[in-house]
Amino acid sequence: MDAHVAQLQMQYRNYILSLYQQGFLDDQFTELKSLQDDGSPDFVAEVLSLFFDDCVKLVGNMARALDQIGTVDFCQVGANVHQLKGSSSSVGAKRVKGLCINFKELCEAKNYEGCVRCLQQVDIEYKTLKAKLQDMFNLEKQIVQAGGIVPQVDIN
Amino acid sequence: MTVEQDFEAVDQFPVGMRVLAVDDDQTCLRILETLLHRCQYHVTTTDSAQTALELLRENKNKFDLVISDVDMPDMDGFKLLELVGLEMDLPVIMLSAHSDPKYVMKGVKHGACDYLLKPVRIEELKNIWQHVVRKSKFKKMKSIVIHDESSQGNSDQNGVKANRKRKDQFEEVEEEDEERGNENDDPTAQKKPRVLWTRELHNKFLAAVDHLGVEKAQPKKILDLMNVDKLTRENVASHLQKFRSALKKITNEANQQASMAAIDSHFMQMSSLKGLGGFHHQRQIPLGSSQFHGGAATMRHYPLGRLNSFGGVFPHVSSSLPRNHNDGGGYILQGMPIPPLDDLHINNNNKAFPGFSSQQSSLMVAPNNQLVLQGHQQSSYPSLNPGLSPHFEINKRLEDWSNALLSTNIPQSDVHSKPDALEWNHFCNSDAAQAGFIDPLQMKQQPANNLGPMTDAQRLRSSNPNEGLFVGQQKVENGSMPSNAGSLDDIVNSMMPKEQSQAEFFEGDLGFGWHNSSLRTCI
Repeated sequence: MDAHVAQLQMQYRNYILSLYQQGFLDDQFTELKSLQDDGSPDFVAEVLSLFFDDCVKLVGNMARALDQIGTVDFCQVGANVHQLKGSSSSVGAKRVKGLCINFKELCEAKNYEGCVRCLQQVDIEYKTLKAKLQDMFNLEKQIVQAGGIVPQVDIN
Repeated sequence: MTVEQDFEAVDQFPVGMRVLAVDDDQTCLRILETLLHRCQYHVTTTDSAQTALELLRENKNKFDLVISDVDMPDMDGFKLLELVGLEMDLPVIMLSAHSDPKYVMKGVKHGACDYLLKPVRIEELKNIWQHVVRKSKFKKMKSIVIHDESSQGNSDQNGVKANRKRKDQFEEVEEEDEERGNENDDPTAQKKPRVLWTRELHNKFLAAVDHLGVEKAQPKKILDLMNVDKLTRENVASHLQKFRSALKKITNEANQQASMAAIDSHFMQMSSLKGLGGFHHQRQIPLGSSQFHGGAATMRHYPLGRLNSFGGVFPHVSSSLPRNHNDGGGYILQGMPIPPLDDLHINNNNKAFPGFSSQQSSLMVAPNNQLVLQGHQQSSYPSLNPGLSPHFEINKRLEDWSNALLSTNIPQSDVHSKPDALEWNHFCNSDAAQAGFIDPLQMKQQPANNLGPMTDAQRLRSSNPNEGLFVGQQKVENGSMPSNAGSLDDIVNSMMPKEQSQAEFFEGDLGFGWHNSSLRTCI
């Protein structure tokens, strides 16, 4: 059983590292993890849950706004992008945040096509991240169920 | 300089500082809340500026600091900032994902104490308490200026002080530390007019204290009894503090020496100015602009930075008194003009009263003694002018006085309820409490997690977090993209093969049966 736990832990560690290396996560995610402790053991999961809820809501808003062809309110879109940028940077969703920066410029330029395309990318990106993080959580669960503890992964 | 300080408050601040966090972004709000908790602040969160305002209006003293996001749907963050500044005069920190300097400038112009960029790091939050201190210092200065203008024993001082709470107390501690070393400096608006504790004044003070009882004496009551124009409660309070402190120190020493004389002579020393030489002391106690020693055996180092105000009557004399006035470990008053020795040798060997060491009693007799230390009943003392009554008489009166004093005063635990280590300038608990100066330390009494008005973020969190990633998402996603299901979904679906291959990859790699497809269905 220990070998199994060790193997899981190794997989977990590698997985997390890959997420950082591929640019899905950044330092802010590390900060989030550091805030999780015995007092709030599900903190990261909670925050991420909130974040993905936010994503859904904001992407929905933006899609609706962009759907008003001819009378697109780019300010409205921009406001949503701004909010998404804030929350994604707070959780360490690096790629999503990066997209938001581009997206903002496109809004300011009132580039309709660009905005639509960017929104699609945002949509894909956050869902991908969500999937990856779910994998991570599942791994954690497995480790715990196997009797091990979830290792702290040192990114540096 | 104030005396009523809730010491425990000072100890803990900024721990427990009460922060109101406002952000419509629930993710950020949740993170902010946790970060603030980590800094050991007491946190209340809301996602609505309107709710925040209501909370603040409901009780202005409920919070020390507000942190607010800039972009909020129901109210512009800058507007909230303005309103809070106007109505409650609380420090407000702005929070935003906008790094554009013009937003920062806007924040500053609207009165923000600080402007933080998202994502907020905990290091930045660890120092936000400085804004509370800074603001309260400013407020204190304002109120001091106002106070000076109407310095007749203000009874509403208590109210003013009560509003200033811990942050004032905290920074007042620091101030007093500085002031002690800078007695002669004039920190502009913070300096009050000095009161000269002349003999008459001090006599009145003593009379009042004696009437009330040393333990029970409160500055306000003393002030009333003294009935002196232009004397403020604060003047009395600080004088009383010194008095008590000296008493306490002396009683400490007295226990070692069983010398009652120490007390009153120490006190005499404190109050008296010049010419009270004739006592030895090995240790020097700097005293701002004047100096005198405490008794070697009977008096310890007495933080005398403040004693300058204790009468302000000590001349700044640099000469030192001769050391060999009286033998036997008496006191020497440095920095005082030395009276003719003869006058000081009152009763070298006076055994008229027990415990009085002769040297000490002779303190009373300096011809140019401007002091004060006359007993509670003035009638029982001759005025300590030049041309004093015979030594014996004085000594006797000294005895009477100190006896009376001691009987009401000792043991020391009654005088000070706080340990000495807390610095003499912290007023004793009973006194402060009686005077009602201290706003009871709210933070200690506050519940650990007062999240009453807290809203969406909380509710969300209360739902099963892990499941939220799956179930919640599905529901929300389905709900939120009704009209656009077409355009975006098509694109996403077209991407599915790629994602599925990823899923397969994961499955194989991670060795568990989790199917990504279960997630994909919600897309």
